[in-house]
Amino acid sequence: MSEPAVSIRQVVKQYDGHVAVRELSLTVPRGSVYGLLGPNGAGKTTSIRMLLNIIAPDSGDIRVLGAAHDDPNIVDRIGYLPEERGLYRKMQVRRVLRFLGELKGLSGRDADRRIDGWLERLGLKSGSEDWSHAKVDELSRGMQQKVQFIGALLHEPELVVLDEPFSGLDPINAQALKDTVVELRKAGRTVIFSTHIMDNAERMCDSVCIMARGEVVLDGRVSDVREEHTARMVTIMFASSPPTAVESVLHNRALVTRVDDSHRLVEVELAEGVHAPTLLTALVGAGAQIERFELVRPSLHRIFLDRVGASHVEAGMTGHG
Amino acid sequence: MAKLWAVIRREYLERVRSRWFLIATVFGPVLFGALLFLPAILTARDRARGPEDLSRIVILDATASALGERVASALGGGLSGGASQARLERVQSATLAEAEERATTLVLADSVRGYLVLDSATLAGRTARYAGTNTTAMLEMSALERSVQRQVQLMRMEAAGLDASTSDQLTGVNVTIATERLSERGRSDGNAFAGVLFGIGVAMLLYMTIFIYGLNVMRGVLEEKQSRVAEVVLASISPSRLLIGKVIGVGSVGLTQIMIWVGVGWLMYSVRERVLSSFDAGGLPFAMPDIGVAGAVIILLFFVFGFLFYAGLFAAVGATVNSEQEAQQAQMPVVLLLLLSVMFLQNILMQPDGTIAVLLSVLPFSAPIVMPMRMSMTDVPATHLAGALASVITGAVLATWLAARIYRVGLLMYGKRPTVRELARWVRRR
Repeated sequence: MSEPAVSIRQVVKQYDGHVAVRELSLTVPRGSVYGLLGPNGAGKTTSIRMLLNIIAPDSGDIRVLGAAHDDPNIVDRIGYLPEERGLYRKMQVRRVLRFLGELKGLSGRDADRRIDGWLERLGLKSGSEDWSHAKVDELSRGMQQKVQFIGALLHEPELVVLDEPFSGLDPINAQALKDTVVELRKAGRTVIFSTHIMDNAERMCDSVCIMARGEVVLDGRVSDVREEHTARMVTIMFASSPPTAVESVLHNRALVTRVDDSHRLVEVELAEGVHAPTLLTALVGAGAQIERFELVRPSLHRIFLDRVGASHVEAGMTGHG
Repeated sequence: MAKLWAVIRREYLERVRSRWFLIATVFGPVLFGALLFLPAILTARDRARGPEDLSRIVILDATASALGERVASALGGGLSGGASQARLERVQSATLAEAEERATTLVLADSVRGYLVLDSATLAGRTARYAGTNTTAMLEMSALERSVQRQVQLMRMEAAGLDASTSDQLTGVNVTIATERLSERGRSDGNAFAGVLFGIGVAMLLYMTIFIYGLNVMRGVLEEKQSRVAEVVLASISPSRLLIGKVIGVGSVGLTQIMIWVGVGWLMYSVRERVLSSFDAGGLPFAMPDIGVAGAVIILLFFVFGFLFYAGLFAAVGATVNSEQEAQQAQMPVVLLLLLSVMFLQNILMQPDGTIAVLLSVLPFSAPIVMPMRMSMTDVPATHLAGALASVITGAVLATWLAARIYRVGLLMYGKRPTVRELARWVRRR
């Protein structure tokens, strides 16, 4: 059990001259929630597919749960929710789930029992209604997502891989997903998920790996990562609309290098050598009525933008999904 | 193995449960039953109603001889023995056109069925003309032809000095040929017609089943790709296994259908006498050739490996496309290959041992359809049979291998359809 859940060493994957993953190395500790972050096209999905042995790396070594990743027995211990979700549309929910369970080595009877438990838990089966005999087609999108999610977890995998699990999820399902991830973590399972929503990653992950253009930009424990990035960020909440004098303080390059102005809530980065009290004094002097003045460690989003550089940020990249 | 089994079971059960399968499976025997019983029953009904009265015609006799009279009496009395007699009109060559016009009016008024023109060419033993509403009734036309022919012969004999009864006796000959088929398996009473019919039936059944279920495999692959379920499945099972499971599952559906069809067909065939006698109909005009257990097993092998061959190719097509429309285009090469084996059907039927027939019966893409057809029509040398089987099996293995390579890459590839060169790269990819 000492071996990490996933260990990827020097993995390279090329597609027709274009490098998707370049010398990727990372380690996912057992029992942790691990975030794979990065913009679209960073190589997250390719890395995940190689990890799951859906595609073969050109070179490098991948070990999963203490075995080579192409060990045929290992897939039964992994649960996978791909980014592009889909099920057999014409099949009944129960039959789809039983099939997915059987593909992971479950017997039909075991699968059935667990399917009932999950369907009840996620509200697809209750005293008044039972969706298990409906065709996938007849389900709403949200319900289909739940079914897919059940399919990934039915066989109680030790390692759960979720590729962009929050994309397209309604708030209720997103909450259910977060709850489940926390539960899995408590049960000692390892969860890897990729996302471009830094907010989620920051709240849920023990460790993260930020990728861009097929390479690791930064990785480690979330607390360590944030520790390394010294607290130069200040969040200021104004009690009322700040007067123009305050605006000029915020845009004074000698004090502040960057402002993220949301009118009443402003996030600023202190200039080199400037201490927070200096800024506070200047603001109060300019007549600001301050409700909150907080020195914060940079968010992952901020770090991400710093490290990857705004030039790599594509449309759809947000801090607060 | 358990996973492969799960794939096979899903493919099989989801299809067998579909309404489409039910309809097709019921429709087959209904069609077969109709082909088997309807002709005999209809013939019996016609016979019960008595033969069509050939005397309801007008005879325009321009021969200035007794021919018209003779034909009229032969048609009236000779065939049904009824009292009615054809209406005879003696005409001159000059008034023939006018008489024909009058007769045409009668035909169109439905008071007679047609008119027969006898002239000097008829006396010379060459042609007579007939116009009427029943010209497509082959039996009636040949009876009419025979009748005219016989009366001309009789007239000539009597002119040569023979008396009427001797002439009648001399020409009253009606020989039919009973055929027997000789083969290494011995003598069988099945006539060539039954063998040909059976051969066409087998070829069509194989062709349709391979075609329909091959396309089914392609659609299944496309569905997995379009619905993106492929990725989840591939995280649990290798693509080659998934492909094999799919092909076996879908193939088993085809096999089930054939078995039901053949089973019900055989049952119908074996109770045919009872069914037909309850309709007061005689026996069938033909007997099914007996191919024996060995023959059945060989045909089954051709189906299995022929299906594997085409299913592999269709699966590869399904993996390279993104939509039904693209699939329509991309499937053409495979469909043409399959079509090639039925395109030369007529040629093979006429010359089951000809060059084309032999060649097509050993090439891997056409052998599964052509060889069983040849087998039911002629005795195929064992070497041909073995060669054909070996070629089909090799073809199936190669096609499956190729399909697995393309499938593996194509299943996760969306966007533009690959060119042939890209396909080659997919096949070589590690």
